[in-house]
Amino acid sequence: MNKKVVIKSNAADIKKFLETITGRRAKFKNGASTPLPKTYAVNETANKLHPNKQRLVIKDIIVHSDDVKSFILAPAGDAPLAYFRAGQYLSLSLKIGGALLTRPYSIASSPAEALAGIYNITVKRVPDGFVSGYILDNWIVGQEVTAYAPEGNFYYEPIRDAHTVVGIAGGSGITPFLSLAKSIADGTEDAELILLYGSRTEDDILFKPEFDALMEQCDKIKVVYVLSDSKTKGYEHGFIDKKLILKYAPEKFSVFVCGPGAMYNFVAKELETMDIPKKFIRFELFGETKNPAAIQGFPPEAVGKTFNCTVKCLDEEKVIPCSSEESVLVALERAGIAVPSRCRSGECGFCRSKLVSGEVFIPASTDGRRIADVKFGYIHPCCSYPTSDISIKIF
Amino acid sequence: MSKWDAIVVGAGNGGLLAAVTLAKAGKKTLLLERHNLPGGFATSFKRGRFEFEASLHELCGFGKSDGMGSIRKMFDELDLTDKIEWVDIPAAYRLITLNDEKNIDATMPFGRDAYIDAMEKYVPGSRKSVTAFFDLADDINATTAFFADIETLKPSVISIIKEAKKEHMNFLRTAGYPFDTVMAKLHVPQSARNIINAYWDYLGIPCDEIGFIHYSSMVRDYITTGAVAPKSRSHEISTAVVDEFEKAGGVVWFNSPVEQILMENGRVKGVKIAGGKVEQADHIICNTSPHNVFGKLMDPKDVPEYEIKKANSREFAARGFTMFLGLNKSPEELGITDHCYLIYDTMDTRKQYELMKNIETNNVQASVCLNLADKDASPEGTSILYITTLFTADAWKDVTPENYVKTKQYMANKMIDNFEKAAGVKIRDAIEEIEIATPMTYARYTDAPQGVIYGYDAGRYDGVVARTVMLNADEKIPGLRFAGGYGTQHDGYSSAYTSGHNAALETLKDMKKEVEAK
Repeated sequence: MNKKVVIKSNAADIKKFLETITGRRAKFKNGASTPLPKTYAVNETANKLHPNKQRLVIKDIIVHSDDVKSFILAPAGDAPLAYFRAGQYLSLSLKIGGALLTRPYSIASSPAEALAGIYNITVKRVPDGFVSGYILDNWIVGQEVTAYAPEGNFYYEPIRDAHTVVGIAGGSGITPFLSLAKSIADGTEDAELILLYGSRTEDDILFKPEFDALMEQCDKIKVVYVLSDSKTKGYEHGFIDKKLILKYAPEKFSVFVCGPGAMYNFVAKELETMDIPKKFIRFELFGETKNPAAIQGFPPEAVGKTFNCTVKCLDEEKVIPCSSEESVLVALERAGIAVPSRCRSGECGFCRSKLVSGEVFIPASTDGRRIADVKFGYIHPCCSYPTSDISIKIF
Repeated sequence: MSKWDAIVVGAGNGGLLAAVTLAKAGKKTLLLERHNLPGGFATSFKRGRFEFEASLHELCGFGKSDGMGSIRKMFDELDLTDKIEWVDIPAAYRLITLNDEKNIDATMPFGRDAYIDAMEKYVPGSRKSVTAFFDLADDINATTAFFADIETLKPSVISIIKEAKKEHMNFLRTAGYPFDTVMAKLHVPQSARNIINAYWDYLGIPCDEIGFIHYSSMVRDYITTGAVAPKSRSHEISTAVVDEFEKAGGVVWFNSPVEQILMENGRVKGVKIAGGKVEQADHIICNTSPHNVFGKLMDPKDVPEYEIKKANSREFAARGFTMFLGLNKSPEELGITDHCYLIYDTMDTRKQYELMKNIETNNVQASVCLNLADKDASPEGTSILYITTLFTADAWKDVTPENYVKTKQYMANKMIDNFEKAAGVKIRDAIEEIEIATPMTYARYTDAPQGVIYGYDAGRYDGVVARTVMLNADEKIPGLRFAGGYGTQHDGYSSAYTSGHNAALETLKDMKKEVEAK
């Protein structure tokens, strides 16, 4: 091989290549010595939209009844409240006794109010509920509380949804619709809302003055109050069924449903008979499954049993009791182990953990795991119930 | 004695491969990730009855599932290949331009011969020069070993010329030039070049600037060896790597953002994790940007001035934006015929690059219908379509939380309209689920500056060749290496995997040298 010839004929090309190197050296050498940015506008905005945690203070408490209160929350520090989309929820981070836990509450106030420094969450006492009772009986004005950023996918999306939203609400499931109605009234959202709002009696209706005022103010909002337990003039009576939906809905609409479990089951069956494409039906998450043993597939031998759960978190290990009737997440929280969680319904995946050994029961309806997570043995503790001693790794 | 031999900061593609390579080499390795999932951008998420791929379009350099690309070889060596179920990508791409003087609509297959045949059909008379292009790309590919070791030659004209054998000359002939220049020298007709240039937005640098070797090796890898995707989204790869890493004794901590990289006497010593926990190691591989490492994670007194100057001199590459659609009809019902649509205004890549600087003027999209590679990617009678674009400037910097949703929707609507126009199909009424990832989303999950997804811009002095050749001159802090889009290989899945693997191999070399020095 005649190296000389090859080299000679390519001298210019090689020079060009070497320029890349000398040019790089020069470029780096001539860079500014000004300090590198600590942050960037886009990252700042991302952080404003999704702060890790928000320190809030209870500014006011509105007592609807002994069992229902609205808490008006404002920023406790300098950071503004995270903006959100009407229908999203706020996950609270709580310490009750020795337990560290979270609870998601739909935000009843509007995104515009968040810009003005206000969130409203409405808490209703859940019979035998651990957290709702604590909040209702203990939270006072001036107290600081901690929340995560707003989360959730229960919001109006014009690219996907019909222009008219038929909202079906039951009890305290009304809160995301108050946010949506306010957003429509103030122009944040461009949609029409027909709200079918079920309560037991007239006295149980939440936010009636607010809704009546919004109807007055904005012709895109119509609220139909439906009473299940009383026949009262000016109100619909009974359950929210197909007939009632068709009475008020236009030809094309999206259905958004938020309320108690019994209502979900009923409404889901009614909607099934109505030939509505799946894309136009949205159910808000329901929270934890109660009484998993009643669900088909739950191993009978595990009913009523308490198992040992070995929990590994970073380089610490602990063994805690874990009842088959409660989710692994609840057992962890009860033991005072901080574990991330948000939706508590199997969907968001914040609590994703590795099941190292043992068996858990996961109801199919709340199994929101990614396909590969199923394959590689990961679980969402919020919807996993131990049916043997287990060992898990949390993060 | 440190508890760990090495710490990997960030479990993105680069960090994952770095970690598993170190662990398999018997090193006690701690992998730290700020998010609760591995993968960085290589992940998935669920909405309704759909599980969406977060970022991967197709994995290049793997070959078809029975092939032997360089990534496949690396995955084989790390016992990863058979932990993942692979699907073959059916064809390369369909290129469509919407606003060119003469619009293009070209469907290009995988396979060198098939590709050249298709090109001859679209551009009669192109066969000879396009064949010459692939020959040249093959020839350069065969020089990889020389290329990888070139830095040991302490590059100078004399040393390179001395060492370069005749068969390496094509590497040296082309390494200093942009893609356009070499293609012109090869006399490839402009209309054929337009079709070959279709992948340019996978690197985000116009063809008059991107290095010939960088771009040609990507085209070669895609076209000659084909491509695959993991059946259960890239989350399957990310999770499989974590699994192998743990089996090899590695330890992974999620939700563990590193707040500080600790230094002592000019070398890395360990990290401080949020919450105050300190972990020590003499070797750290960062799968995050040097901007973050030297701007945020190190005590300013520990940062050498040349690192500041270097980082300041480098430009960020593209920022990401993706719309994910779950459609309630099958691809057949909708008329979606191709797995990958690359849609541009124009194939004047420089002009297009300029248009991608603004939200209003950016109409570029790379669109993937997952069901064309795997019909079971979503429930029967549905399909998944995701559409990605890049911003070649910090276009989202002035978007506020208040106008964020509206801006997302504006961009998404444009994408839907353009896709419908280009592909000649109607998808809008079939949208059952929609999710939109913006630069803010990428920033949120990975702390990427400005939502950059491609690392540093691989312009003339910062291309793959320059980065690789200068690796040991660039990375001077003892114990510190970089992986991922900011590493030697620039952006892309296979590049990030390779850079992570290489960063680990370099670290192993560093460890060996240090032992020998003692």
